[in-house]
Amino acid sequence: MTAAVEIDHLTVQFGLFTAVKDVSLQIRQGEFFSFLGPSGCGKTTILRTISGFQDPSKGIIRIGGQDMQGIGPNQRPTALIFQNLALFPLMTVAENIGYGLRVRGVPKADRDRKVDELLNLIALSDQGNKKIEELSGGQKQRVAIARALAVEPKVLLLDEPLSALDLKLRQHMRNELRAIQRRVGVTFIYITHDQGEALTMSDRIAVMNRGHIEQVGNGRDVYENPETAFVAAFVGENNGFTGMVTRVADGLATVETALGTFNGVNRKSLAVGAKATLFVRPELMRFDGEGENIIDGHAADAAYEGITTHLTMKAKDSSSVVATIAGATAKAFPESGSSVRFAFTSRDATVLPA
Amino acid sequence: MSSRSVLNVMLAFYMAVFFGFLFGPLIIMGVSAFNTSTYPQVYPIEGFTLSWFDKLLSDRDMVYGMKNSLWIGMWVVLLSVPLGLAGAMMMNQVYHKARSFYYVIVVSPVLTPGIIIGISTVVFWRDLTTTTGSKFLYDGVFLTVLGQSSFISAYSMLMFMSRLNRFDRAQEEAGLDLGATQTQVFFHILLPFLRPAIFSSAVLAFLSSFENYNTTTFAILADKTLTTVLAGRVRQGTTPAISALAVLIIAVTVTGAIIYELVKRHEDRKRQERLDAAHKAERMELQSIENATLHA
Repeated sequence: MTAAVEIDHLTVQFGLFTAVKDVSLQIRQGEFFSFLGPSGCGKTTILRTISGFQDPSKGIIRIGGQDMQGIGPNQRPTALIFQNLALFPLMTVAENIGYGLRVRGVPKADRDRKVDELLNLIALSDQGNKKIEELSGGQKQRVAIARALAVEPKVLLLDEPLSALDLKLRQHMRNELRAIQRRVGVTFIYITHDQGEALTMSDRIAVMNRGHIEQVGNGRDVYENPETAFVAAFVGENNGFTGMVTRVADGLATVETALGTFNGVNRKSLAVGAKATLFVRPELMRFDGEGENIIDGHAADAAYEGITTHLTMKAKDSSSVVATIAGATAKAFPESGSSVRFAFTSRDATVLPA
Repeated sequence: MSSRSVLNVMLAFYMAVFFGFLFGPLIIMGVSAFNTSTYPQVYPIEGFTLSWFDKLLSDRDMVYGMKNSLWIGMWVVLLSVPLGLAGAMMMNQVYHKARSFYYVIVVSPVLTPGIIIGISTVVFWRDLTTTTGSKFLYDGVFLTVLGQSSFISAYSMLMFMSRLNRFDRAQEEAGLDLGATQTQVFFHILLPFLRPAIFSSAVLAFLSSFENYNTTTFAILADKTLTTVLAGRVRQGTTPAISALAVLIIAVTVTGAIIYELVKRHEDRKRQERLDAAHKAERMELQSIENATLHA
């Protein structure tokens, strides 16, 4: 099966600035694929290149196996959902949704049927005559999706469309987006800087940093088996200790850091003498003293969150180390200022090139 | 008397002087148009008459000038509004560094004295039509339309520019992305967005044309417009017929302003209703999400 979208050695430059550096990637048919990264990492540029608003400086974009070189945004089988939605304020809801069909010259009767179908899909059946101004944030969101789906695109591109919504609605819309995607089966390419969104919705995620892809994988891969220090630090919370590898044995690496000598899984097979960062997730950091690796410091803060409590310790170089503890164990955390000890097992730590 | 009420009295006095300054001449015009005295005067009122309006309407020069002014005004609108729109759209297209240079060039007619525009229009077209043998183009109305449009289109460009600045480019991209051509985007999305600016620049263009004297007096050649006829009359001494004309113009203007205000209020009310509906939908949405989580 040909990939829905194939990005082949894509480079995009703006003057002297390189926004996207030699990115190659295949996105499968019917996949919910996310680009995750901080702002300015090049993810929006990739999206605009796929949709045709930006020309590649080098490289090829193929959609359904077809080279998109020289094909304008209005000729591509993609539909884009804009960050601000870009609904047409002077048209009604139905006119917005039917716009793509109208410019294609679809007869009015067919158009109306399709619009009704889509209004039904987004649960706005009897509201086609409303003006965009009359809608709530979530309704606008759904109209934007329906407008894009009306033209039956092969690929739907979404540029952080949930960022303007408030938290509760955003979480609700995640489920709804995912459900719509499953129902229509169209390939979704989603751009976000919010790892929660990427992890909950996506089949696969590409984590981007400074114009290149750091790692591609499903949510679990990216979270549990980060390939680079950037991914480890950017996706989820993490404690990182930087130093130098002093010993390598049994798949473990020993890293000498400012806070002590720690062992962790040597996933990238670093050699002795390499600069490395050892990462331990807060939920794998223990407060009951079990584990071969020990960090001493002073209690700084205990943030109670119901199911879990985030314990923060100030280590001797005054950096913060966080342990997320479930249940009653956290009650034993002493008052701030008293000395405490965190520990972790070597199998729970990951050593990555710094 | 407290200092506060002193202030209030002073403020009231100032307002009276201010509005007197603005509307005094108009009131005098208005009253004198209905006074029987042969010289425009407010006091003493010698008697009430509508004969000055009769006299005005049977004044063939005046009526001819008025018709000519309306005709010219229409053409100036038809020429200046599209030109201004095109000029404003160009502003977004030209290369960034050329932008301020372009701006100076297209705005310069606004800063050029009207007399200069009038004289140069005449000189240019006299020479051009003579050398090319197209003397039929050397016509007062034609030259006036061109001369006036050269700076009125710059006014209308400025109005379009401020409206275009508020245009969200994502709207245009959304249109293209949905499969529209550039032409379709222009007619379906950009033009409806610009409608208020089209309306206001058309009104402004018409009024600027209608009241223009400096450029017109040269460009009109041997022909006449209302302003040139009036200028000639006032030189010979003003009559209440001119006051009658002023009353008519004031009546048309005030009626237009009132209609505009009513329409605007109606639209504001509609808009407020829509925003209220949106707030309500927003509340209901959050409510239903909360309910769903509670029941889950």
